[in-house]
Amino acid sequence: MSALPPLALYVHVPWCVRKCPYCDFNSHGVGYGADLPEDAYLQALLADLDADLPLAAGRQLVSIFIGGGTPSLMSADFYRRFIAELRLRLPLAEDIEITLEANPGTVEHDRFEGYREAGINRLSLGIQSFQSSQLTALGRIHSGNDAKRAFQQARDAGFDNINLDLMHGLPGQDPVLAEDDLQQALALGPEHLSWYQLTLEPNTEFHSHPPALPEEETLWNIQDKGHARLEAAGFQRYEISAYSRPGREARHNLNYWTFGDYLGIGAGAHGKLSRPGEDGLDIERRWKSRQPEAYLRRLNDPRGFVAGHQRIPEHDLVLEFAMNALRLVDGVPMDTWGRHTGRSLERLEGSLEEARKKGLLVEDPSHLRASAQGLLFLNDLLAMVSDD
Amino acid sequence: MSNNATSKDLSLIRNFSIIAHIDHGKSTLSDRIIQICGGLTDRELKEQVLDSMDIERERGITIKAQSVTLDYLADDGKTYQLNFIDTPGHVDFSYEVSRSLYACEGALLVVDAGQGVEAQSVANCYTAVEQGLEVLPVLNKMDLPQADPDKVSKEIEEIIGLDATDACQVSAKSGMGMEGLLERLVRDIPAPKGDRDAPLQALIVDSWFDNYLGVVSLVRVFDGTLKKGDKIRMTSTGRDWPVGEVGIFTPLRKETGILRAGEVGFVVAGIKDIHGAPVGDTITHTKTPDVPRLPGFQKVKPQVYAGMFPVSADDYEDFRDALEKLALNDASLDYEPENSDALGFGFRVGFLGTLHMEIIQERLEREYNLDLLTTAPTVVYELAMDSGEIIYVSNPSKLPDMANVNEMREPVVRASILVPQEFVGNVITECEQRRGTQLDMQFLGSQIQLTYELPMSEVVMDFFDRLKSITKGYASLDYNFERFEAAKLVRLDVLINGDRVDALAVIIHRDHAHSRGRLLVEKMKELIPRQMFDVAIQAAIGGQVVARSTVKALRKNVTAKCYGGDASRKKKLLEKQKAGKKRMKQVGRVEIPQDAFLAVLKVND
Repeated sequence: MSALPPLALYVHVPWCVRKCPYCDFNSHGVGYGADLPEDAYLQALLADLDADLPLAAGRQLVSIFIGGGTPSLMSADFYRRFIAELRLRLPLAEDIEITLEANPGTVEHDRFEGYREAGINRLSLGIQSFQSSQLTALGRIHSGNDAKRAFQQARDAGFDNINLDLMHGLPGQDPVLAEDDLQQALALGPEHLSWYQLTLEPNTEFHSHPPALPEEETLWNIQDKGHARLEAAGFQRYEISAYSRPGREARHNLNYWTFGDYLGIGAGAHGKLSRPGEDGLDIERRWKSRQPEAYLRRLNDPRGFVAGHQRIPEHDLVLEFAMNALRLVDGVPMDTWGRHTGRSLERLEGSLEEARKKGLLVEDPSHLRASAQGLLFLNDLLAMVSDD
Repeated sequence: MSNNATSKDLSLIRNFSIIAHIDHGKSTLSDRIIQICGGLTDRELKEQVLDSMDIERERGITIKAQSVTLDYLADDGKTYQLNFIDTPGHVDFSYEVSRSLYACEGALLVVDAGQGVEAQSVANCYTAVEQGLEVLPVLNKMDLPQADPDKVSKEIEEIIGLDATDACQVSAKSGMGMEGLLERLVRDIPAPKGDRDAPLQALIVDSWFDNYLGVVSLVRVFDGTLKKGDKIRMTSTGRDWPVGEVGIFTPLRKETGILRAGEVGFVVAGIKDIHGAPVGDTITHTKTPDVPRLPGFQKVKPQVYAGMFPVSADDYEDFRDALEKLALNDASLDYEPENSDALGFGFRVGFLGTLHMEIIQERLEREYNLDLLTTAPTVVYELAMDSGEIIYVSNPSKLPDMANVNEMREPVVRASILVPQEFVGNVITECEQRRGTQLDMQFLGSQIQLTYELPMSEVVMDFFDRLKSITKGYASLDYNFERFEAAKLVRLDVLINGDRVDALAVIIHRDHAHSRGRLLVEKMKELIPRQMFDVAIQAAIGGQVVARSTVKALRKNVTAKCYGGDASRKKKLLEKQKAGKKRMKQVGRVEIPQDAFLAVLKVND
């Protein structure tokens, strides 16, 4: 029971040029050409990491994800220095995946080469749509052509593993327009597509001033047709909103969904870390100071960067596990639960009885997996997960 | 100077109640009287002292009768003992009123000088006059610009038949006219009569359960003297009890050790069950068992019944305990176990009216932390069977096979409605839609008094709310059970995905069955949230479906995005959804929210 789950690293870069009206991430608009405090932030990230290191002692990183905000606002040199420093602190797996999120409106040609040289081996481009009217409505700072150009530049720079973030269910969208977006994305030939429905999240501009979204039937048709289009193009849906070519699943995200561990550094970053406990693993979430300025100030603060932490309570474990694992179309091998929580299988089974009875889980002794109905109604399924 | 503790001469005692409609300022007036007589210091005088239950204070109504004994130094230099017995103001609780009035020699009829007389007050006033009480009209809220004392005085004279030419004009809020009112009270309300040396004869006005003392009874002594240590007998049960405590309310409970003829106060006698000190019973001494019983009160019969079920079956035991505790204080609460196919184990609970029902549900949920589901209330039907047997049914799903029923009868009430002329047309239309028969219509000042016979089922539904809404809040209502009358009644069943749901059945008039059925399924469609599958709702009479509607299935319900960092936020959303589900009842595969079980109440033709 002493084995720990795989360990990943999430790095947050909290700045963007302009906050998008749908975005509920910890992202702060600074305008074009802002001078970002790269040196100070690098120093803070390393100090932040150092404070978390005891939790990662003796473990190697399987993946790194640099998300934001807009991480491509930072220079290649920033990442070169960061990854070099990181190697001094933690062993990296030989085949480690290192992803950087990039906004097609913020990258010049040479930057991609620099990122590649710094050790980044996967890019995630935030495209959202190729239609200019949609991009304007979504508050994006790039055009459809910018996106295509950025993709080509990334390829030229040697990136052979690229994800495109694409949204559907946009205001005024119909299945034809949505399919056109997909068509343009597929024409670029990416390895991975995150194709997710626009939802209005609390604390966003869209939440307080909601745009008119398509009707439920339209949304359904968009998704139905889009799904078929993607599968026909050789993309497999492996998670609710994630499609990839075989073998090109996002390993970093798979680690979240299989309830792996991750360090989280940077402003507002969340981490999840396990250590051996009395009854299985003690699993703790911790999160860092959220406002960029406040985060930077923590460098000289005896409290450090952690804004809060919580041990996942025993009665939440199954729900937390299920809300991740069941997002995967193939689910997870049954023993993942035991390996990543250190608890007995009976514990899990007991909590899933109702969902199983209602046919929302597939009867499969080797895998925990939602049925087709269960994937469509995952929120209902999870609401049935009871641990009392 | 307080000489409460020593009993007064009869001539210096005044026992009175206040008759007033909700909102007409009774509580403020009571507080003001208590304050003037120094019953409480300002610090102690919480607003509206007498309405001590939270729900009473929140809803601004009085449910239980209470009393307070006050000293008043009058202009004649004498100190009078005022015993003020509070009364409830809502139609559901009118039985409490007549009981309180019985303990008094007089009553203040408080009328809002801007609003005029309301039906509830009229009914209570008649009761007071019938019982021989001296009624003093009081015009309250005289500080408000809309006060129209001449018009309202005229109304009092025409509607109630009281001389209101020199009615007291007060503002309880500002204190205006209050001293004058108290002077009138000691002058006009007669002192009680009684022989303090005669054998004890005292009436139980109210009883309630106190966690520390057991049953506390509010009593009015008519003859004799009641002392601590006495052996007393409850004449209805013949049981004897030793008196542990005797005293008055100031309004805080205060032991005096003695109550004499003419006085009002409390007695505690080690009784552990409210039925051991039944309201309306006569108390005497064990040694004088032959004292005649005072005219008691009829046992109050519940008028409406509803099924109450815990949302979670695990709460059944707690629910039963809570009902038991509430019943300790509420002799009108009647309950027996009920088992529903759809809702599991619960209770069939009888109430005085729908307000009583709401209050009980609220208290159970709030004070006992229970999640309850209440079915639509129903009145009690009388069935004459072919066998000659008469049975009473208070649960639609327990209706016997109609083939064996000779005649089905519904309770009919006589309702009195007071309404300003301009709204009378609306009220007549509403009464007719509810199968009413007009008995009388009288023009009284600027108001009209309508008297109708109405099926009780039509009145207990949402009649009162509806009356209020079609008369801009001006109409007032009073009603009493009159008789059972044969009617063409049917049971309207509701089927969810093909299964009859017993808890949703209602008994209605055949002529309304189709239209109500249609409205009911439409209302249910609004109330049942969309689920993973289509939910078919049907209304049927006998085996015949008369209306149907469908709650279309959701296409999906899944969060588009979820990565590591926002997992905790998504979890909060899920927990909200889980909590929402907990408040719904699962019937077959379908989740039905509490509201849907009361949908029939929200159906307006």
